[in-house]
Amino acid sequence: MTARLRRLILFTPLFLFAAIPQQPREAEKDTTAILQANYLYNIAKLVEWKDQDMRTGNFVIGVIGSANLYQELIKQYSTRTIGKQPIEVRKLPRSPEVERCHILFVGRSDLALLPEIYKRMQDQPTMVITEYAGALEDGAIVNFVKVDNLLKYEMSMKNAQKHRLVMGLTLKNLAHRVEE
Amino acid sequence: MSMIRRLIIVVLATLSSVWLAAQSDPLVEALRKYQAGDLAAARTLIDEAVRLPAHVEDAEAWLLRGFVYKDIFKGATDSGIGDLLRDEALASLYTSIGLDTAGSYRENAAQAYDFLARSYFNDAAKALNDMDHERALAMFAKYKEATYRKDPEADLRSREVEFINALGTVYTKLFNMERKDTAWFEMAVGSYRLVLELDPENYGANYNLATLYYNRGVYNIQRINADDEIPSILEIQSASREFFQQALPFMLKAHDMNPERRETLLGLEGIYYSLQDQNNSDKFRQLFEEIAPEER
Repeated sequence: MTARLRRLILFTPLFLFAAIPQQPREAEKDTTAILQANYLYNIAKLVEWKDQDMRTGNFVIGVIGSANLYQELIKQYSTRTIGKQPIEVRKLPRSPEVERCHILFVGRSDLALLPEIYKRMQDQPTMVITEYAGALEDGAIVNFVKVDNLLKYEMSMKNAQKHRLVMGLTLKNLAHRVEE
Repeated sequence: MSMIRRLIIVVLATLSSVWLAAQSDPLVEALRKYQAGDLAAARTLIDEAVRLPAHVEDAEAWLLRGFVYKDIFKGATDSGIGDLLRDEALASLYTSIGLDTAGSYRENAAQAYDFLARSYFNDAAKALNDMDHERALAMFAKYKEATYRKDPEADLRSREVEFINALGTVYTKLFNMERKDTAWFEMAVGSYRLVLELDPENYGANYNLATLYYNRGVYNIQRINADDEIPSILEIQSASREFFQQALPFMLKAHDMNPERRETLLGLEGIYYSLQDQNNSDKFRQLFEEIAPEER
């Protein structure tokens, strides 16, 4: 776990405790959620899961936190398929005990769960996607980054390999940063 | 009976000896018909009167003509006919003011003139409420023309600001109804920018322009769907970023002018969020949350 993630985890609950409960952002104006949902869909199309049992049944996208991302995925992508696998979007409970899924997105509100999730997922063919600086070093395969006021992504080929995922060349070429 | 009408009667009564000797004078007949409420007959007679050499330069005759046309205008149900009647009334009252070198009727004529000029502004406002921007523009142009004709030095800036701001809002509504038609967007932007040229400290124009730009950027992103691939996502984001960046200085200005307004705090939170600037977005969200709920 990087020092940055440790700091985030330490400060996040304190901040949440001190803050007045916030009104959720309107889903339709949550531009980040709209962009992330589309990225998730496109990333899914450009990655190959080597494990045979991941190539049948539903294509599961699990979301922890980020209610608006979940809503956007349901609205725009839940009737689509990845290859022949119908997309199934699941809103997962705030727990490190994660069900089997192809993609697992963990939002910034739930970073405290990540160390345990990385540990439990280390042998699983699950692509962990998140959104904090230093995530690739911690074990994420794709991480959303903010560059020049734009939302982009970075990816780790090494972590992908560990999870038996083959990242497409297009995905690699379009990434803001690739960690080999 | 209005004070103005009474005054006319008094004035004309002083000339009764002359008029009694001239029973066929259409001015006297027009006044009688006007007093009796027969506006159509009064109109025919006064039109005839002002063409006669005896009255063509008679301030009283033109004043009466202005009042007759003003009252017919007030009862008009067709806006096109009403506009013509109002124009005639204004022209007559203006002629009366010009001819009235002694100033005997000037106050009455000026009051009636100002009432009619203001009615153009009110009709422009009504047209905006009805989303009829073309009529609103025509009415406002008439209002300006009428006002400047009587007083070329009149300062109409505050009225202009009020009208163009409201016009911008109508264009914004039209754009929101059909967002693919960006002509409305451009017209709304042009309106708010014009207001800011006249009055850079105008809170409404700063806030509305910022919101317009922000919503345009959000709208671009909202159109993203499963058919869009990563390169087009980057293009769409770049296009939206331009709008968010254009929105920011105007929302900041509105916030500086009124730091406790909840809508600017939320506006800044939204703009920074869409610019992927989480720290500033959180900062303004926090400021918003700190306002007591009843003040929001």
